[in-house]
Amino acid sequence: MAKTENGVRIFQGLLILGNVVIGMCGIALTAECIYFVSDPHGLYPLLEATENDDIYAAAWIGIFVGFALLALSILGIVGVIKSNRTLLLVYIILMLITFAFEMASCITAATHRDFLTPNLFLKQMLEKYQKPEAGNNNDKWMSEGVTKTWDKLMLQNQCCGVNGPSDWQEYTSAFRTTYSDADFPWPHNCCVLDSQGHPINLDGCKLGVHGFFKSNGCYAAISGPMNRQAWGVAWFGFAILCWTFFVLLGTMFYWSRIEY
Amino acid sequence: MCGCCVVLVLFCLGLLSAGNQKPQLGDAQLATNNPTLTTVSLEKPFCMFDSSLYPNRSYTIYLYVMKESASAMSSLVTDDSNKPLGSTFQQTSRGQLRPYNAAFFDVPDCAVPPRLADVRSFVHASYVLKQYLFRVGDDGTCLYDPNFLGVCNPPLAPDTTYRFKYVLVDNSEGMVKDQTLWSDPIKTRRAKLPMKIDTCVLVFLLLTGFLASVFFAIILKIIIKSIGFSDTK
Repeated sequence: MAKTENGVRIFQGLLILGNVVIGMCGIALTAECIYFVSDPHGLYPLLEATENDDIYAAAWIGIFVGFALLALSILGIVGVIKSNRTLLLVYIILMLITFAFEMASCITAATHRDFLTPNLFLKQMLEKYQKPEAGNNNDKWMSEGVTKTWDKLMLQNQCCGVNGPSDWQEYTSAFRTTYSDADFPWPHNCCVLDSQGHPINLDGCKLGVHGFFKSNGCYAAISGPMNRQAWGVAWFGFAILCWTFFVLLGTMFYWSRIEY
Repeated sequence: MCGCCVVLVLFCLGLLSAGNQKPQLGDAQLATNNPTLTTVSLEKPFCMFDSSLYPNRSYTIYLYVMKESASAMSSLVTDDSNKPLGSTFQQTSRGQLRPYNAAFFDVPDCAVPPRLADVRSFVHASYVLKQYLFRVGDDGTCLYDPNFLGVCNPPLAPDTTYRFKYVLVDNSEGMVKDQTLWSDPIKTRRAKLPMKIDTCVLVFLLLTGFLASVFFAIILKIIIKSIGFSDTK
């Protein structure tokens, strides 16, 4: 009998340990998702304009799932210590629901990451950057967001266009309807600027002389943070789910063995 | 290095007369954005007319632009008395019917060509670029005035082939002294429509949906088994 007692104690200890880890992971998930939702790189307007900002939805779900995991892990620890069937049943059901939500969040983040191709941002930039007043308020809001974000991107990352400044020459754009090619082969933010924000040499920039214009594309500066966000939410989420899966299994087995 | 090569080539060309030389596009290593949708930057005619220049006389170089199309009636740039034609952009239907005079400028100094290496310096870059290149299509302001009849250098048409010619004119006589050949056909860029950009993407939804359903099936089975196990007890 002592052996069985010891076995039960060990199993309880393992479940408690499992729940402690789930609780800590829940806090970490919440913190990570709050960081992503705060949009430190200012790229949210670009996603908003694609009308597919699901990686942000995934991060929002992650925040609430993290809190839920923390609360449920405490419930689980109490339930295991007291060996209470009701508590553990509530724990199992709620944990399954949380599991489903987190699964949805991870899959959303992982699949919608693939949606964010260079062509998507190229088309958006060409159609919305510096778009003159047109359409409804929603359209105007998105165009302004895209314009501000691109201006900031080009200034901070010393880059131009998605693949390079040649994007502005290869395609027509909303920008081109307002600004002539002779004066603006590409936006002036693509020129190397001095401390006052003026191009250091406008002729050199227009002709494409190296040193007076920015020849890198901005795609790396856009996709880097977005990939980190998507992979961070998706893969950390999957890791938590794997661990939670085993703890849930153990808890179900424990619940089934508790005598009335 | 590249600047020295260009200077050497210009010097060698100076030994020939302009009659078998053509206007060239600016050095592609220097001006990477050339030609654009509506502009073409040509090298100024360094040392091309030197054999026709006399000391103590003043000359001007005229630049003529013509569309290379079958409907061009004539590619002559002088009239019967060897004076340069003053046809403008508007008169020639934007270069469709005949060449038009896009600009005139002083003869570039063959003895002191611009040092292209100086382009690296922010201070000298503008000066060097202005000395070395002429940008056709640079000035659109004359288009806004329908009554403007002077010499006009407005933007060119996209996706169109143009040819260019330099003509040396003596200022006092007003007569053409020398001219280059018509340049090789130079085509302006063509812009594609953004709506043609393909944003199609591999959708993994089917695969992940399948995986998710398998996963939930396993979970449900375990729940049912554990409930059944506890019931038999």
